[in-house]
Amino acid sequence: MAQAASARSHRKRHEAEIDLLPVMNLFCVIIPFLLLSASFLEITVISMAPTEGISTTGAGATANLARSEEDRLQPKVILTDQEMFVGTTFGTVHVCYAFQELRENGEVVISYDWDSLATKIDEVYKTLTRTYPQIDFHKVVILTVEETRYENIVRTIDVCAAAGFDQPGLQVNPSHLVEEAMAQLAGGEQ
Amino acid sequence: MSAPSKRHVPLLLGHKKSKAMKRAIDKKVALNLTSMIDMFTILVVFLLKSYSAEGQIITVSDALTLPSAHSEQKVQMKLEIQVNMQAIVVDGDPVVAVDEDLLSTGNSIPILVTRLKDHMEYTNSVKGTITEDDMKINIQGDVGIPAILLQRVMSSCSEAGFSTQNLEVIRVEPEAEE
Repeated sequence: MAQAASARSHRKRHEAEIDLLPVMNLFCVIIPFLLLSASFLEITVISMAPTEGISTTGAGATANLARSEEDRLQPKVILTDQEMFVGTTFGTVHVCYAFQELRENGEVVISYDWDSLATKIDEVYKTLTRTYPQIDFHKVVILTVEETRYENIVRTIDVCAAAGFDQPGLQVNPSHLVEEAMAQLAGGEQ
Repeated sequence: MSAPSKRHVPLLLGHKKSKAMKRAIDKKVALNLTSMIDMFTILVVFLLKSYSAEGQIITVSDALTLPSAHSEQKVQMKLEIQVNMQAIVVDGDPVVAVDEDLLSTGNSIPILVTRLKDHMEYTNSVKGTITEDDMKINIQGDVGIPAILLQRVMSSCSEAGFSTQNLEVIRVEPEAEE
């Protein structure tokens, strides 16, 4: 004999519905506001250090001494239109050869192997901080020939900053002077 | 011709409706907004991430393309120099045209130094003093300018008394790199 259906089974199933219209209204207000105040292109700056050397705002003699020592030991990243080097008091290291890069707009530009520079400059930073633990190294000089693209200079500064050299200075010389500077660094090595 | 009698009017309007039609009229049509809410939520999160309360305080000229870097140092409202392969522009005024002669020699550019010194003197006359903050200058350089041009501009800035030169770049996230 069939059992009578209980009262519970007769109860009508009621599905809860969330009213999404107020949420939609809120979104419709907030999205145009955020769209107007969004900045998709963030512009930042790279502060260039004066390449002259010691700042006049030094705190004390010890600090000035350390700073001058830092100036003496600061590495140089040398960019020519054919090669890239890193020069320190320990010697000059060849980083990479320049190569031609074809851009999307059809322009052919000179570029360098930035990964190699990152590896080499990181090694230099570690060597310097290990050898001279009392000095906090920040300065680096970008020594380049006259034709080097601004883009490559900024990229070099960026790679050096990632390694810890976040106070870049710029020196631009004709090719023969850059070669002389390299020869001097090589002389210092011996 | 006589007017139609009342008897014919309901028939013309289709007064009799089927049961299916009646059900369709009674049924409440609900729009499914869930997928739209999902999309809006993603959009709001993305826009909140790129929301800037400060806004963009500087404008980049259409005539140049700034290089990219990972620098996080915020740009400040300072005197601007825009440099591309056509001209050097100070605070919106073209000061000197870039030609072969300008690129053939080094050191400062006299016209640019004069213009920058004028600005420095004006600041001094208005404020009565020159602070370290007034000695800062922002340089917007096109990616394609040669190093000699940048060096000449920076040298001119130093000579005019702008000891801190900031190179403006477009910030890229480290993840965005290849």
